[in-house]
Amino acid sequence: MANPDTILSLDNVVSGYGKMTILNGTSAHIRRGKITTVIGPNGAGKSTLFKTVFGLLAVRTGKIEFGGRDTTNWSPRQMLDAGMCYVPQGRNIFPELSVRHNLELGGVALADPSGLPARIESMMQRFPMLSEKANAQASTLSGGQQKLLEVARGLLLEPRLMLIDEPSIGLSPLMVQEVFGILKGLRDNGVTILLIEQNAKMALQMSDYGLVLEQGQTRIEDTAPNILADPRIAELFLGGGLKPAITA
Amino acid sequence: MTDFVQLVIAGLATGAIYALAAVGFTLLWQTSQTINFAQGEFVMLPAFFALAGMKFLGLPFPVAALAAILLSMLTLGVLFKTVIVDPLHKQGTLPLVISTIGLAILLREGVKEFYSAEAQRFPSFFPDINLGTAANRGGSGFNVSADQIGVLIVATATILLLAWFLSSTKTGRQMQATAQNPTVARILGVNVERMVMYTFLINGALAAMASLLISPIYLAKFSSGETLGLVAFVAAIVGGFNQVRGAIAGGFLIGIADNLVAAYVSSTYRQAVPLAFLVLIILVRPQGLLGRAEERAV
Ligand SMILES: Nc1ncnc2c1ncn2[C@@H]1O[C@H](COP(=O)(O)OP(=O)(O)OP(=O)(O)O)[C@@H](O)[C@H]1O
Ligand SMILES: [Mg+2]
Repeated sequence: MANPDTILSLDNVVSGYGKMTILNGTSAHIRRGKITTVIGPNGAGKSTLFKTVFGLLAVRTGKIEFGGRDTTNWSPRQMLDAGMCYVPQGRNIFPELSVRHNLELGGVALADPSGLPARIESMMQRFPMLSEKANAQASTLSGGQQKLLEVARGLLLEPRLMLIDEPSIGLSPLMVQEVFGILKGLRDNGVTILLIEQNAKMALQMSDYGLVLEQGQTRIEDTAPNILADPRIAELFLGGGLKPAITA
Repeated sequence: MTDFVQLVIAGLATGAIYALAAVGFTLLWQTSQTINFAQGEFVMLPAFFALAGMKFLGLPFPVAALAAILLSMLTLGVLFKTVIVDPLHKQGTLPLVISTIGLAILLREGVKEFYSAEAQRFPSFFPDINLGTAANRGGSGFNVSADQIGVLIVATATILLLAWFLSSTKTGRQMQATAQNPTVARILGVNVERMVMYTFLINGALAAMASLLISPIYLAKFSSGETLGLVAFVAAIVGGFNQVRGAIAGGFLIGIADNLVAAYVSSTYRQAVPLAFLVLIILVRPQGLLGRAEERAV
């Protein structure tokens, strides 16, 4: 538990929607400064895991620790303040606001708002596309550009950990490489990345660790190369579940 | 021709008032998915707040008007949200819709019962002078009252001020973010609850402004909310329902059209104008003038 390499841990977490239980006693240990990819079949509860960690869904029982603190049932705002950001699945920009104003909204939780303009400027230097399109309505960006905007917006608070859910969906292969490149760059600068990817093989190839989730429970937690080599997950890559005989 | 110009100016003046009501209606929908079928009554009521202030408390008109705006923000904003919308929202859309219809009836009957069933004359902020140019033009005459111009200026200024607030202040942009995607707004740390409350306060203020501006023209009457509510609803739909700009355009369009219809066709058809627009827009452009197909991700 008190492993200093662990930045985020879940201990027997149960959560869900209404009467439906999705996370069914999930435990996990996420390493600091590494990329961990969560894989699992559709409906396994991967997105639910992120929503629960970030405080959008209540933890019914169990415990979540982030950065050495018990953050069980903290609000999203508290998680932001604690140094976590969350880039959900799908499109999450504000379509009718400009690129600059979308970016600015990433700084809402900033303790000292006077630092906001400088942060926006430096983010624009880091992603020149955002600077070129600063005054364009965000809806005019391509899918890949929108994802970059979301990532940049999440980074505005300089988080220690980024939850990012299926960023590659709908992006061109080139754009996927760009997004993955950004995530690797963040990791190299000490930011922990917790990633969900359908494209499990490609994601694991650039990850340090992997987490296989099935029916709301952690089935495998290991290094990415070990998971890639694990015969049990061959089925998963093809869209099926884990082989039950071996899982048992 | 001068007739036509006059009618358009009169139409712009009423249209600007309709736009105030429609914008408030749209904002409520956007940030809290509240379809307020009492919006017309929200525009009817504040005039009676002002009248009551003058009649029972002896307040001078400007003070009574200001008090009416504040009282509207409190009752039509805060109370409406906390007593009706918040508890019912959890039950789904339909109970809330039915409750706003019930509220409309309550407000209408309440005013009729406790104030008067008669249409009330209502003071205007603007002098009753004709800015017409009949004399210099000699002949046909060009009648535009200071009242119409005043209404047009004040209503337009209110809308511009709101537009400025929404687009040029950080709080305004947080409100827009809340309207466009509340979940993502929350994920970024926006205090969504507070933004929704601001919307209700703004709607209360807009309704009060509309009330104070329209009552001198059409008198203050308990039943006037029926048409006003329909107009706000249709203006919002004509404009695309989820677009503030659209609601503004819709309000002006209906204002101009109903003045032209009243003059050139018959004033009995005036009330049919919003309905005609509604049918037309549903047939021709269901997404509204400025609307887009809605797209929303979690
Ligand atoms: N808002 C919601 N309300 C009710 N049920 C939900 C909701 N979101 C997800 N679920 C259900 O919870 C289960 C897990 O969903 P979740 O989105 O966590 O899966 P996932 O592993 O991310 O799958 P995918 O690969 O399809 O994204 C699914 O059965 C889904 O139908
Ligand atoms: Mg998912």
